[in-house]
Amino acid sequence: MEYPKQHKDIVSDLMAGKFLLRNDFNFDILKQNKDFYTSFFKESFNYGLQLESEFAYLISFETKEQLSRDICILIALLSYELDKDGKNFMDQLSYALFEYDQIDKYFEGSSYQELIKSNKQLKDVESRRMFYRTLSNRNIIEKEGENQFRFTSAIKVFIDFAVDFAQGKLEQATVSIDEDTSSIDE
Amino acid sequence: MQAEPKTILNFLATHFDALVFLFEKQNNEGSIHLRTFREFEEEFGHIEQQLFSYKILRKIGEDAEFSGEIYNLFQFVLKEFKPMLPETIEKYNSSISNLFRLIRDGINGDKLILAKRIDELYSEAFSFVESVEKNTLRLLAETRELKSNVTKIDYKQKVEKASFWIDYYIQPLNNILDISHAQSIVNKLLDISNFINIKRLNFHDETIRKQFEKLYFFLIQSNHDLLYQSKILTNELLPLIERIRTESLILTGWIEFLKIPNKVEVPKLLKVLRDNPYSDEMYYHAKDFVMQFQNIEDIIISEELVETDMWIFNKEKYKEDLLNKMPVNDFFEWAIESLNKEYKMAETEKLFSLTSLLFEDDFDKEFDPMNKHVFIQTTQLKLKVPKIKIYKHGIS
Repeated sequence: MEYPKQHKDIVSDLMAGKFLLRNDFNFDILKQNKDFYTSFFKESFNYGLQLESEFAYLISFETKEQLSRDICILIALLSYELDKDGKNFMDQLSYALFEYDQIDKYFEGSSYQELIKSNKQLKDVESRRMFYRTLSNRNIIEKEGENQFRFTSAIKVFIDFAVDFAQGKLEQATVSIDEDTSSIDE
Repeated sequence: MQAEPKTILNFLATHFDALVFLFEKQNNEGSIHLRTFREFEEEFGHIEQQLFSYKILRKIGEDAEFSGEIYNLFQFVLKEFKPMLPETIEKYNSSISNLFRLIRDGINGDKLILAKRIDELYSEAFSFVESVEKNTLRLLAETRELKSNVTKIDYKQKVEKASFWIDYYIQPLNNILDISHAQSIVNKLLDISNFINIKRLNFHDETIRKQFEKLYFFLIQSNHDLLYQSKILTNELLPLIERIRTESLILTGWIEFLKIPNKVEVPKLLKVLRDNPYSDEMYYHAKDFVMQFQNIEDIIISEELVETDMWIFNKEKYKEDLLNKMPVNDFFEWAIESLNKEYKMAETEKLFSLTSLLFEDDFDKEFDPMNKHVFIQTTQLKLKVPKIKIYKHGIS
């Protein structure tokens, strides 16, 4: 059996939890062999291959996945603080270069101190630096020099989550308003 | 007493700020309560009487309202139009259609009524275009205000507002202006302009022909204006407000998530549990694992010396004892009894030492294979042994 070119690299990267981005040559190979890799990862490791237009990544069906939760908290806090600072948070998350110091200032002045202090990855400057390394290894951020990074297109996974969550919440709110109204009608 | 038009216009200009204040009041509260004039007088003077006598305002119970014309004038000069519900604008669809049908069907009828109908159609189309323009302007202002969020409304409200504008105003207005939609008013106006175009050229009466011509050019201009309005809606307004809705949704999502960050099912990622054969780190981790067992320091194990009683088999002594007992019917019975007598309990090692006497030339041995084996007990073992008779060699 002949494996696709760069098979080893593709498998190594994805199995290390990396997002394979569209600008990576291996992304095209993966895309061309979508069916093969979908069944390869499913049959070999019981992992799901998520192939989007901008990136690909693997998911395990492990429910206690802390990294994803920590990333959500980071982006949620950042979005909130950027908006509070009068910036268009979506533009910033999509295109801007973030300086470590800038994020430190946001976190230090945040009203979510309790949450920040209780999170192992975000609690202080050192933990956050370590966390950026993890995110960089997974291609969720792209480091620029020693003190800067920008988010890659992988951020879409988490933005979509926020939209879904809000819609779920808004629907819940709508339902409860409807229920309140109907109880008044009755 | 009817005031001079110039007096009214001068009054409007002089007290413009006061009138804007009242205009905003009416827009925000639905009407102007009469007690407003008391707060109002300190700042803007005593003008209440003129407001009513010039018919700028009219009383409705305990409240006052701008008269229609003045209200429209202020809407126009301040560019603050009340948004019309698209279903209100839709009324032009039937009025324009009806008038057009009457013109087409009565084209050879009475000229006076035809002329009147053409005029009516003109003013209905004019009002329609104006309503669309006003609505677009208003929607644009609302959208930009929502975007800048100067009133600091919360995100949930912002999403609801953006959705409200899209669902009830922008999208239906877009449908009215959508040229690809056969039933849209814009398409109807296009059909009318085609008909009018022919009539402006071939109608036998010159006055009517001129009216048709005026209507035709107005419709052409209107078509152009409506297309422009439609472009604002589709290219600017919809994406802008859609983006507000999306951005606000995202932030709403994050804020809600931050309330219960540990109780929400987050996006699944890969939990890297182990090294796999493709991992670059596999070699180093394996090496670490092996190295922990490689102890490079010499280990000296010193055994503690334990003093034990060494038993030395005194063969001659036991040989002599055996000779004294001759003949012995069962060698192992004798051995066990001897050891038990001497050491309370026969040890296996001592028994085996005694067994070596069987191989001495001084004794003759007799063994009957038909005899049953017997069991003897040592400190460690229970042994099954044959019954062996012992005689002194050479003596019967």
